[in-house]
Amino acid sequence: MIRLCLLVYLASLTMVCHAQDPLKEPSFESDIRPILREYCLDCHGATDKLEGSLDLRLVRFMLKGGDSGPALVSGNADASLILQRVESDDMPPGTHKVSADKKAVLRAWIAAGSATMRPEPESIEPGIPLTESERAYWAYQPLTKPNLLKPIDGVGIRNGVDQVLADAMPEGLTFGADAPRATLIRRLFLDLIGLPPSQPQFEQWMQNPSDNWYEQLVDTLLQSPHYGERWARHWLDAVGYADSDGATLSDAERPWAWKYRDYVIKSFNDDKPIDRFMIEQLAGDELAGTKQEDWTPQQIELLTATGFLRMTADGTGSGDNSPEARNKTIADTIQVVGSTLLGSSLNCAQCHDHRYDPISHEDYFAIRAVLEPALDWQQWKTPPERLVSLYTQADKELSAQIEKDAQAIATERATKETEYMKEALDKELMKFEEPLRATLRTAYETPADKRTDEQKMLLDKNPSVNISPGVLYQYLPAAAEELKKYDAKIAETRAKKPPETFLQSLSEPAGHIPVTKLFHRGDHNQPTRQVQPGKLSVLVPEGTSKTFQVDDPNLPTSGRRLAFAKWLTQSESPNPLFVRSFVNRIWMHHFGKAIVATPGDFGKLGTPPTHPHLLDWLGLDCIEHGWSLKHLHRTILLSTAYRQSSTRDPVRDAIDSENRFYWRRDLQRLDAEVLRDSVLALSGELKADLFGPPIPLQEDDAGQVRIDPTQPRRSLYAKSRRTQPVAILQAFDAPVMGVLCDVRPASTVATQSLMMMNNEFLLEQADKIAKRVTQQLTQQTAQQTAAEPIGNSTAWKLPPEPASRWKFGTGTFDTPSGKLVSFTEFSNLSEGRRMPGTQIPDPTTGFVFLTNTGGHPGNRSYPAIRRWIAPSAGTVEIKGTLSHGSPNGDGVTGRIVSKHGQSGNWTVKAGNGETNVANISIDADDTIDFVLECGENETSDSFTWTVKVSFRPNDPTSSSVVFDSAVGFQLQQEDYSSLGRRIVGAWQHLLRRAPNDQELDAVGRFVQSQLDLLHRQPERLSSGNSISDQVLVNICQMLLNSNEFLYID
Amino acid sequence: MNENEQTQQDCFEQRRRWLGHVGMGVGAIALKLLLSQEQLRAEPPILKDKPHRDLIPRATHFAPKAKAMISLFQHGGPSHMDLTDPKPELTKFHGTDYQGEVGFSFVNQASKKLLGSPFAFAPRGNCGTELSELLPHTSSVIDELCLIRSMHTGNNGHEVSIRYFHGGIPGVLGRPTLGAWLTYALGSESQELPAYMVLSDPGGHPVDGVTNWSNGFMPALFQGTVLRPKEPRIFNLQPPAHLVGEMQTQNLQLLQEINRQHTYLHPNEPELYARMATYELAAKMQLAATDALDISKETQATLNLYGIDEPETKEYGTRCLLARRLVERGVRFVQLFHSGQPWDNHDSIAKNLPAICRKTDKPVAGLVADLKQRGLLDSTLVHWGGEIGRLPVTQEHGSPDRAGRDHNGQGFSIWMAGGGIRGGMAYGKTDDFGHKAVENVVTPNDFQATVMHLFGLDHEKIYYPYNNTKQIITSNRPAKVVKEILA
Repeated sequence: MIRLCLLVYLASLTMVCHAQDPLKEPSFESDIRPILREYCLDCHGATDKLEGSLDLRLVRFMLKGGDSGPALVSGNADASLILQRVESDDMPPGTHKVSADKKAVLRAWIAAGSATMRPEPESIEPGIPLTESERAYWAYQPLTKPNLLKPIDGVGIRNGVDQVLADAMPEGLTFGADAPRATLIRRLFLDLIGLPPSQPQFEQWMQNPSDNWYEQLVDTLLQSPHYGERWARHWLDAVGYADSDGATLSDAERPWAWKYRDYVIKSFNDDKPIDRFMIEQLAGDELAGTKQEDWTPQQIELLTATGFLRMTADGTGSGDNSPEARNKTIADTIQVVGSTLLGSSLNCAQCHDHRYDPISHEDYFAIRAVLEPALDWQQWKTPPERLVSLYTQADKELSAQIEKDAQAIATERATKETEYMKEALDKELMKFEEPLRATLRTAYETPADKRTDEQKMLLDKNPSVNISPGVLYQYLPAAAEELKKYDAKIAETRAKKPPETFLQSLSEPAGHIPVTKLFHRGDHNQPTRQVQPGKLSVLVPEGTSKTFQVDDPNLPTSGRRLAFAKWLTQSESPNPLFVRSFVNRIWMHHFGKAIVATPGDFGKLGTPPTHPHLLDWLGLDCIEHGWSLKHLHRTILLSTAYRQSSTRDPVRDAIDSENRFYWRRDLQRLDAEVLRDSVLALSGELKADLFGPPIPLQEDDAGQVRIDPTQPRRSLYAKSRRTQPVAILQAFDAPVMGVLCDVRPASTVATQSLMMMNNEFLLEQADKIAKRVTQQLTQQTAQQTAAEPIGNSTAWKLPPEPASRWKFGTGTFDTPSGKLVSFTEFSNLSEGRRMPGTQIPDPTTGFVFLTNTGGHPGNRSYPAIRRWIAPSAGTVEIKGTLSHGSPNGDGVTGRIVSKHGQSGNWTVKAGNGETNVANISIDADDTIDFVLECGENETSDSFTWTVKVSFRPNDPTSSSVVFDSAVGFQLQQEDYSSLGRRIVGAWQHLLRRAPNDQELDAVGRFVQSQLDLLHRQPERLSSGNSISDQVLVNICQMLLNSNEFLYID
Repeated sequence: MNENEQTQQDCFEQRRRWLGHVGMGVGAIALKLLLSQEQLRAEPPILKDKPHRDLIPRATHFAPKAKAMISLFQHGGPSHMDLTDPKPELTKFHGTDYQGEVGFSFVNQASKKLLGSPFAFAPRGNCGTELSELLPHTSSVIDELCLIRSMHTGNNGHEVSIRYFHGGIPGVLGRPTLGAWLTYALGSESQELPAYMVLSDPGGHPVDGVTNWSNGFMPALFQGTVLRPKEPRIFNLQPPAHLVGEMQTQNLQLLQEINRQHTYLHPNEPELYARMATYELAAKMQLAATDALDISKETQATLNLYGIDEPETKEYGTRCLLARRLVERGVRFVQLFHSGQPWDNHDSIAKNLPAICRKTDKPVAGLVADLKQRGLLDSTLVHWGGEIGRLPVTQEHGSPDRAGRDHNGQGFSIWMAGGGIRGGMAYGKTDDFGHKAVENVVTPNDFQATVMHLFGLDHEKIYYPYNNTKQIITSNRPAKVVKEILA
C-alpha cells in the first residue's frame, strides 16, 4: 500500500508543476486545493480524525485554524502558520516535501488575499467534498446526442460515425477513398473473425455482384462462430483471463476457467445484449437462484458468467491464504471492475482519496461493499472451495458406491503402512545398542506431546529414528513401492466414478450480510467507520441516494451486485462511464487506436478523448438498438471512416500526420493470435472446432514454450498460464496476465524477425503451405484445360536451369584406345529411369537404362554410361562402389574413362567392389564416363554403382566440391515446368493476389540464385524436397514474413 | 580450415556484403526508429511510470565500476568448510556430537556427529587468505578475490535459496532475475547480441530449470538468452542447417524486395521501414553470435589458461572463455550454470568434492587471470558461488568414506572479483563449526544491492511498475550495500 501511495505521489510531482500558469492569479479551487490534497488533506480533512484539530478543506476552516491557532491570515503570507510550516519543511512529515514552485504559489495566493472562485458551501459532508469543476469533468457528464452538421450523403458520409468525425475535421481534411475490395475483404475477415479468407471465400466476395456486397459480408462474418472467438479474446484481455491462479510459487492450475471463456465466446456469438451480458457476469448467481435437485442449463450459464469476478490472481488455495493475500485478490477484482467497467483507476483510491479524480476513499469502499458478501476476507473461500459441482443426483449415487470399494482398499493400505513403519523402526533401531535401543523405541512410541524432555533430547540427538510415513521411502524403498501399488489401485477404482465437472463461479453464502469498514490507509488491520454499498459519488446527481440496499428482501442473496449491475446498465439515464468505456474498447479493436487512448482510465491521468461526441453518439445508438453489440459493430464497420484506404497523402499528412482525425485507415499489425491462427489456416492444419478445455503447453529443452503441435487449434484455446507464456505469442505482444491487459503494445523488434525466420513452427508451416499450394494447383489444372496464363503476366519465364554436371546415355567404348568413341544421351525419363526409348526393352538398345543409383546395361553394343562434366580445370578423385546382385548371368564390368584413357575397370558378379581412382587431371568441360558393360549377355545384369567425384579446382580461390552421382541424377529429374505456376499460386494463396511485374522480376532473380545454389549444394534440400519444392517453401516463408502479410491495410 | 568451414565463411562473407549495402530504402532513419525501439502504438501515456521496453543504453545513478558481470553459479551448495572456510574447531571435535540445533533435509541419514574437513588449508597469495588444497588455481588468483564467508539465506532448500539469489524473495516464483534487472536498468551495449546470456551445461538444465533466467513480470526482452551447448546455440537465432548462410541471405533479399514493392503502396509509413530494419538487425545478430562463439583464433596459451587442452576442464573452460568473449562484445550479464547440482555432496564428499573442483577450479581461475591480463577485470564483476553451503555434521551412509554433508543456508561462502570489488580480502565469519554466519552477515538481498551499486545503480531506484506497485529487485526487504568490500 505504501508503495502504491509513493507511486502516485511521484507521478503527481510532474503533473501539478505543469498545471501552473504563472500569469494567472492563483485561486483556491484550481491551484491551492490540489497542493493541499497532495500534501496535507490526508491528515487535515480527509478523515474524521483531524490532526491538531486543523481542517484545511475550506478557506474559512483555515482562517479558523486548529490547536495552534489560525492557519491562514489573508493577505499576509509571513504571518500565515500554514506557509511557515510548509516553507520550513516542517510539514508535511516524511521525506517528500512541497517543491519550491508550489511553495511560491501558496505564498502568492495568500499574499493576494486567498481568493476562492466561488462562495464556499454552508455545510460539508465528511471527507473531501466534490467541487463543481470536478463534477464538470467531461467523462462524468450524461451522454448527449451530438448536434450533427454534415449531412449523410451515402458516399463520403454514410452514417452518424462519419458525421461526427467529419464535423471534427479541421480545414483541409476529408475522408479518403474507400479501400479496394480485396483490401476490405481481408480487413473485415481479420478484424471480425481473426482468420484470413480462404480462396473460395475470397473469390466469392470479389465476384459478388450486389451493390451491397460489403454489408452482406459484414453480416455474414458477424454470423460466423469464429466471430465470438476473435472478440472473446479482446474481452478476456480486459478481464485478465488466465488458466492458473498465480500469486504463489506454484501458480496452480485453474482447471475450470475455460468454461467462462466459452461463455464469453457464446455470448458474443449470440449477440447477448451488452446490459444482460454485464448483469450476468456481475450477478449471475443472484439471478440464478437456488439449486433444485440438479442445476438447470439456464442456472449453469448464469453461474458460469460470474467467472468474471474470479479472474484475478488468487493464491489463497495454493499456498498463501493470509489476510494480505485475500485482500489483494479483492483489490485486484475491484481494479478489474474499475478499469474494465468504469474506465476509472478506482484502485488509486484504495489507501486514500484519489489524487486527481473525484473518487474518494469512501467510494472505493462503497464498491468493495458491493462485492463483500461474496468476497469477504474474514469468511474467505479459496478457489477450490468456490467451485460449483455439476454432479447430478444420479452421478452422486453411483459415485458413492464406487467410493465404498475404494475405501476398502484404503483400509488395507493403512494396515500395511503401519506394519512397514514398525519394520523400518525395528531395522533402524538395530543400529543402536541396548539399552539405548529400548529407550529410543519408548521415546519414539510416546506421542510427541507426551514425551519427556529427556526423550525429546534423545530423539533430537538421533534424528534418524524420527521415521514418518513421508520419509519411509528412505528406509524401506520396496515397502514404499508396495504402498504405491495400493495407491494406484485406489486411484484406478476411483477413476471409474462418473467424471465430476465444475464451474468456477462467484456466489454469496445464504444470508451473509457482512459489514464493510473503511480501512485506514488501505490497511485491513486498521478498519475505521462502516461504509454502505454504493455508487461512485461523482456519478450520483446531488440530492439522490448513492447507496444500494444492504440486503434485498426479494432475493436469497444480498442483491448488491445485481443492483450495481443494473445501475451500470440502466437504459433510462445511461451510466456515462460504463457506456463510454465499453464503446471505446470496441472502437479501439476496430481501428487499432481508441478514442480515449487509456481505455482503463478516463480520469485526469488518462488521455483526453479525441472524439468525445463519437462515444456518446455510438453509445446512445447502441442502447436504442437494444444494447446490441453486433449493431454497434455494424454501425462502425459500415462507416466511411472504417472503409477508407490506408494510403498516406502528403497534403493531409502535413495537416495531421498522426491521423487523429481519421482521414485514412491506420495500418495494424496482426495480433499474436491472429498471426498464428492465420498461418495455421493457410497451411490447412487449423482445426476450427469451438470450445473446450485448454490445449496443454510443452516446454522444449531450452525452456521455449509452445502449444502442443498435435492440437492445431486457435490460439485462444491455448492454456494461458501466468508463469508459462507461449514463446511465439509473447513475442508478438500477447499479454502475460498480471491483473488485466487494457492495451496491447504493438512492438517491432528483431526477436520477432528471428522467430519468423527460424522458428520451427513457422518453418514447418511454410513447408505445409507450399505443399498445399502445389496440391491446389494440381486440382485446379485437372479442372482447367489448356495453358492458363501465369497471373497477369504471360510473358514471365523462369530462368534457365544451370548446366548439369551429369548426363546419362549409352555409347561405344573402344578397347584398344581405352577411350569412348561415341556417346548418345538418353532422351526419356520415366518412373525414375532414364532410357533411350519409351519402353524397356527397347527394340534397338535392349534393356539399357539408368536410375539414381544404378541401372541395367543393354547388349554388348549398348553399355549404360553415366557421364560427369568438369566445371573447370582441376583434379578429381573418385570413390565408388559397384555391386551386382544376381547369381544368375555372367556379371558386369565397370570402367572409368577420361581423355587420358581408362583409369580402371572392375568386373563383379553377385558381389561388390570399390571403384576408387585418384588424381585425374582435367580441363573445363572434360568428361569422365562411368561405363557399365554386360558380360557375354545381358540377362540378370541389374547393378548399382554410386560414385562421389571430389573435384579440386586449380583456381586456388575456389573451394573443393563433391559431386554425388545419386544426387546428380536427382537434380536432373527435376520438373520445373510447374514451378512458375506454383510461385504465382503461393502469391494467390498467401496474399490473395498475383505478383506484379516487379515482383516477378525479383522472384525470377531469386529463383535463379536458388537454382544455382542448390545445384552447387544439393545437400541443402530438406526433408525429401525437390529443388523446386524447396524454392517454393522459401518463397512461402518469405511471404509470411512480408509486411503485406503482417499488417492489415 | 576444412571445406565446410570455408563454405560457412563464404556464406557469412556474402551476408556481410549484403548487409553492407542494404540501401533498400530502409536506411538510417528506420534503424534509428527501431533502436529508439519499439513502435508502441496506443500505449497509454497515463502510466507515467510506464516501464520502458527497450535496450537502449541508459545512464547510471553514479559512476559505475562494473560494466559487465560474469556469474559462475555453483548449484548445489559448495562445502565451504572444505573449500573456503577453515574450521580448526571442527577438526578438533571431529566425531563428537554437535551441541547446537540443526535442521536436516535428509532425516534418515541425519546425525549430529561433527565432520572435520579431510582437506588441508593454507594461506594463499599476498593476502594470506586460507583456501583448501582442492582449489590450487583459485588460490593463485586469491589476491584478486573478495571472499565472503558469511552468506546467509536462512533456508536450507535449494530452490528456495536459488530463487532468493536470483529473484530477491526466498522461494517465490515469477520474479525477474538479477540479470533481467541489470538489463532492464542499463540496456545493452551491444545491439547485435543479447544483453543477458546464459551458458548452459551440456548435461542439461540446472535445478529449478528456466526459473534461473526468468524475466518474471518484465517483458520477455529482459529474459536470459540461453546459449545452448549444442545446435541451435541460441533459440531461433539460426535456421536449420539447410537454410544457414547463403540460402537464408537469398531469402531475406527476396523479402526485402517484396517489402520494398509494398512500400510503394504505403510510402512514408515508418512502421513498415522499422519492420524491414528488424530483419537486418536479426541478420547482424546471427553474424555477431557466430563470431563470438568461434574460439579458433584464440592462442594456445589462452586455451591452456582455461584448461581447454585437458579433457577434465575442457567443457567448463570453454564456457568460461566464451563468457569472456561475450563480455568483450558488450554482453552485460553472463551466467554459467551446471547441470543438476554437482556441489550437492550429500554422499562421499571426500571423493565427489575433489571431482567437481577439478572440473571448475582451473577454468574459473583462468577466467579471472585472463580478464586481468586483458585489462577487463576492472570493469567486469566476476561472481562465484552457490545458493547454500553445507552442514558441519555428518550425513551418514554407513561407512566413513561415504560420509557427506546435508544442506546449510545458515552460513556459507561465495566470492567476487573485479568490477570495483576489493581484491585480496576475506569478509565475514561463520561460527567455529561453520554452521551459521555470525559476523558481517550478507544476504542475497545485500548481494543484489551491492552488485547494483557496482554498476552505478541505487537498487531502490530501479523499479518496475507491476500490479500498481513499484517492484524492486529486493522487494523492499532489508538490503544494504556491503561497503566494506568495495575497492
